[in-house]
This record gives sequence, structure tokens and C-alpha cells, in this order.
Amino acid sequence: MRASIRVALLATVASCFIGSAFADDMITKDRVGPADAPKVLSFRLTGDGPGNTDPAVAEGYQKLFVDFIQKHPGWQIKLERMSDNIGQEQARMLEQTKSGSGPDCAAVDSFVLALFMNAGVLKPLNEYFSDDEIADLFPFVRSGITGKDGKIYAWWWDTDLRVLYRNKEIVADAPQTWDELKAAAIASKDKGMEGVLVNGGRWEGTTFDWLANFWAQGGSLVDDSGKPIFAEGENRAKFLKAVNYFKDLVDSGAAPKRIATIVNYDEFNAAAAAGTTALFIGGNWQLAQLKSTLEPEEFAKWTFSAIPGPTKDERSTGTGGWTIGAFSSDPEKVAMCAGIAKEIYSGAGNALQQQLPTSKALFGKYDVFKSDANKAFAAALVDGQARPGVPIYPEISNQIQVMMGDVLTGAKTPEQALDAANAAVQAAYARL
Amino acid sequence: MAMSEAALARRNEGGSRSSIWRRLEENPFSWLLPVAILLGIFYLYPIFDVLRLAFTNASLRGGEEHYTFNSFVALIANPVLPDILWTTFIFTAGSVLGQQLFGLGIAVLVMRGERRRLYGMTALRTIVLIAWVIPGIANGLIWQMLFSEAPFGAMNSVLRMLHIAPVAWLSDPGIAMISAIISNVWRGTAFSMIVLYAALKVIDVTLYEAASVDGASGWQKFRYITLPQLRPAILVNSILITIATLNTFDAIISLTGGGPGRATEVLSLYTFNTVFRNLDLAGGSVLSLLMLLISLVLAVGYASFLPRREPNE
Repeated sequence: MRASIRVALLATVASCFIGSAFADDMITKDRVGPADAPKVLSFRLTGDGPGNTDPAVAEGYQKLFVDFIQKHPGWQIKLERMSDNIGQEQARMLEQTKSGSGPDCAAVDSFVLALFMNAGVLKPLNEYFSDDEIADLFPFVRSGITGKDGKIYAWWWDTDLRVLYRNKEIVADAPQTWDELKAAAIASKDKGMEGVLVNGGRWEGTTFDWLANFWAQGGSLVDDSGKPIFAEGENRAKFLKAVNYFKDLVDSGAAPKRIATIVNYDEFNAAAAAGTTALFIGGNWQLAQLKSTLEPEEFAKWTFSAIPGPTKDERSTGTGGWTIGAFSSDPEKVAMCAGIAKEIYSGAGNALQQQLPTSKALFGKYDVFKSDANKAFAAALVDGQARPGVPIYPEISNQIQVMMGDVLTGAKTPEQALDAANAAVQAAYARL
Repeated sequence: MAMSEAALARRNEGGSRSSIWRRLEENPFSWLLPVAILLGIFYLYPIFDVLRLAFTNASLRGGEEHYTFNSFVALIANPVLPDILWTTFIFTAGSVLGQQLFGLGIAVLVMRGERRRLYGMTALRTIVLIAWVIPGIANGLIWQMLFSEAPFGAMNSVLRMLHIAPVAWLSDPGIAMISAIISNVWRGTAFSMIVLYAALKVIDVTLYEAASVDGASGWQKFRYITLPQLRPAILVNSILITIATLNTFDAIISLTGGGPGRATEVLSLYTFNTVFRNLDLAGGSVLSLLMLLISLVLAVGYASFLPRREPNE
């Protein structure tokens, strides 16, 4: 009897060791699957993966990746982690894929996807996704990944949107219009706050968050051919109106002048944690961050609503997110890449990170998206607008960032800043 | 006795070997060739490629590549360029001046401390060097936290405690440039300190002894002995830190991103943005050539002030 117990114990311990050794062997910092597997897929990814800084998310992805590779014997995935300098990483990857030295499969930021599609480096993925799956995608997502030939060239697996966060104790009612937001921000200063915080420094977030105010009026950055038209005709008036709105927030004291230096959403979390702001425009993912940063009783004071528009009925919000695209010419590798998008990220990855899915079906599939907050985010996606998928967009964004700095600091009038931005964008467009 | 044919052949063979050896010894080019090849591959080839790209329409977006002068024309017509060059001049001049002054000050302080056998001089040198080894991006982030204008920003919090009004360190275009210079001087001072400390070490002590005998004051010794003796080191240091400052963009990109507006967008950052934001490889190459030209002109300018070696020296 004793001997049999000993054997059973030894067998249990041995199986544990073998199991952990197997798991360790199946995933390392830069590889998933056996090191001697003959077929290799290189996959360049962001922090959304086994290397995530949140241990729970990292562990979740490790399991998803190991499960995936076990379903595909003979394969190993070489993981190539991008740095946080996404703009530079994406530009470098574009150059590499053009010269044939890029990864087989990669995460492509949705706002530069058009550049990759126009460069002709992405492979179509239609045969790996059903027509129903494609039809179920939100319209802005579907159009974003569809090429001129009607084929899809990436799988957009997560999306996000911007909302107005507020401390209910200080700002009880959700501001619906620009004027209401200004009044609420000024009133919050009487309670020791610094007013409303928005992105205003030299980075993409400044352009993206501000564009909601331009889009809410029906403004367009480019025409159907991709030509910049934001400084022409009605667009010019709408553009200036949106710029003047931000300028007025600063001039009136509703927003501190320091917004011209804000280049990170984390600054809003910090201000909320320090109790120095009651209003900020941030991303939907910040709700989870606030929950983990603030004490429960402090977090309970915070809520969110749609970004105010010039009127109650004129609303918009910017939507972004990440796609996964295949660059390899090997059909087997393209299939593996589509598999990663479908089996790891789309759905399971969304639920793991609580990142909004891109199709209605997935919102209903996972309990995590049935919370009131996520239902509200899903409803707000109705007003969602993606950045135009045109090659000139990065330069338009760059010029809007410069313009915003010049206007908010008083270095230029809105008209002067718009003319300077338009001149630079048109010159860049002429060189495309 | 007649030499056998075999011995003659061996002698000829030995003779030809030694003559090859002698030729190799007399011709330094053959010894420099490996280094020249390495430098050519890793330094000259990229320069030539940048030169080639500048005469094309190359873009990271793709498309047909052809040769054109358009990138040069676009650079000349660019209304932003004068502002960028002025910003670059202010940033470089401020940084070089600050690094020289603080580097010299600390080097003199360490020298005096060592002469008086004060404790902690090695620790002082080490502390100064720590700033030098911090990567540019980290340097920018550190100073961003210090200059933060949020109510909980480090430097403004100290000012508030002293009942001094907070400063718009990064949101005021004029002050943002000063802040960028301060962060760059903080990081670069250590290099100047090392160069000038080494130069101070080799100044002949008898010069100071003679000056003391003549009744020279401390300032007179510094003005008429130290500074003239340091002149070559100061000039060489100027060349090195000017080129390094012209190429600095990592510290600025993480501190201000070039903003607000274009208030701190120096030429190197503008070049980076042209390539990695506009994806304009040809435009970035033209700007790189402009940076190369500016660096060369400044280096030659500084070098012309270096003391010449006399023929009989």
C-alpha cells in the first residue's frame, strides 16, 4: 500500500515537472511552439500578447498561444515585439515589407493600414473568414480593411473610442454641448480642479481626439480621391469652429494651458488619481485603468458619457484599433496568420483584455461585454468615425498637432495656423 | 664554389619574400586597407546612399522610384525651414555654451578638490557621469516629470512651497526651448567635464608656481594660464558636442515632441518626422545632407582656430 502511494506521488510530481517543462518549452519570450518545429512563422506584435506588462493578461495570452500552436503541429511562431514608438515601428515595418525583409505576419495599426494596402504588401484574407463574419463587422471596420478590389487585406480585431469622463460628485450631469462642457469645467475650478483635460501636445492622440469635434459638424479631411480638403469651403468654417472651441477652452480657463503639453492618456489617470481634475476626454480602455488605479470609493465617483458636440444632436467620436495582416507569400503562412487573428485575438483576445470587439456577434458572445459600461461603449460606436485611410493622413495629423500647439499657446491665430497647416499638407500631397 | 641551383632558388624566394615584406612596410595603405574597408561599408556607404536617395522621389509608401531634383526644390521652398534652423541654432548654441561652462566649472572644482586632497572627489566625478550614461529618451522622460505643469509637477510643486508662481516650463514656446536646453546641458555636461578635466591634468604646475611668485591673483591665473592652456581641448570639445547636439532628437522627442507647435522642433527631429511620419525618404535624405553640411562647416570653422604645430616641433 505504502509503495503504491509512493509510486503515485512520484508519478504526480514527475508529471507536474514534465507538464511545466513542456509548457515552458512551448512558449518562451520570443518563441511559441517547439524550437525544432520545421515550419516557422514570424509574428511582429505589440504589447497585446504573451509579453504584456499585466501578468494576468500575459498569462492569458500565453495560454491562447500555446493552445493555438498545439492545434498546429510542426509549426513554431517567432515573436518580434515592437517598441512603444508605434509610428516609427510601423514606418520601419512598411519599409521592411517593401524590401521583402519584413515579418510573415504582424499587428498593423488601423490608421496606417491604408499605407500598407496601397504599398501592395498585404495578402488577401477572404478565404479564411466567412462572408457572414465579414458582414457582421462594424461598417467603419469593414471599409477600413477592404481594398479597392473588394478583398479584405487584414483582420481588424479590436476597436476603441473616446468619451468624456467625469467625477459625478463635482460634475453631476453629463455635459451635452461644447458650451455645457465649458461651463462645467469652469464650475469645477471653484472646487479646486484644474478644468477639463484633453490631449494637445505633439502626438497622434491630439489630432484623433480633437477630430471628433470636426466630424460632429460633418466635416471631411479628404475627398473621395484622398485629396486634402479640410481648408476648403464649408470644411474650412467647420475646422475653424472646432479649433476655436479648443482655443476658447484655454482662453476662458476652462482648460489649463498645460494641455498643449499632454502627449499621453496616462496623464489623465494621474490627474484623476491626484484629485486635480473632474473632467477629461479619454479612451474607453481608461475605465479599467481607473478601476485598478483608484480606491473603490473613488472609482465609484467616476462615470463617462459621449463627447459633447456643438449641439446635442451633433456628436462624433474617433475610433481606432489594431489589425492583423499577412505579408508572407507562402499560403501556409498566410493561413497561420489568419488563424492567429481569428483564434487568438478576435473574440478571445478581446475578452481577455476587455478591448472592444469589431463585430456585433462578439459583443453578445462574451459576458465581459455585457456589462453596462461595455454596452454603453458599444452604443457609442454608432457615432464612431475612423481616420481616413489615405496616404496623406499622417501628414494631416502632424500638421494638426503643430497647429493645435500654435493656437493654444497663442503663437498663431486659428486662421494663420490653418493656412500654414494646409500649405504644408498640400505641398506634401503634391509630392505623393 | 658555385652555388647550387636549389640554394639559388631558395635565396631568390627568400629575397622576393623580404622584398614583399619591405614593400608592405613602406606602404601604409595596405595596413590601413582593412579599416578603410570597414569604414567604407559602415560609414561611407550609408552617406553615399543618402546622397543617392536625396536625388530621388523615394518614399516609405512605395511606388516607382526615379531620379529628380524635386526634393531639393521642396526644401528650398519650405516656409518652415528658416524657423527650424533658427530653433536648431538656439538649441545648439545654448547647449554647447552651457555644457562648456558647467563642464569647465565642475572640472576645475574637481581639480582643486584633488589638489587639496578633499574626500568625495571620485564620488563627485561618478555622480556627474551618471547623467551622461542615461539614454536620451530616459533623459527626456525624467525632465518631463520634473517640468510637468500638472498641480503635482515636481519643480512647480517646489516653487509653490516657496510661494513662487509656477512656471509654464513646457507649454510656453519660449520657456519650452530653455527647458529643452537645460535637460540637454544636464546630460551633456559630464562629457565636457571629462575632456576638460583631462586637459587640466596636463597643465604644467610650474606655470602656476611662477605666476604665484609674480603675485598673480586666482582669476589672473585662470584667465592667463588655465584658459590659454585649455584652448585646444575647448575647441575639440566644441566640435564634438556641437555635432552631438545637432544630432540630438531623442531627448527632445520624449520631452516636448518638438512642441508646443514647432517651438522645440530642431533639424534632427524635423528630419526624423519627415522620414517616419511623412514617410518621405527623399525629403529626409536632403535634410540629412543639410545636417552633414552644417556639421562639416562648423567642424572646419572650429578646427581653423586650433593651434598649428610648427614645422620644427
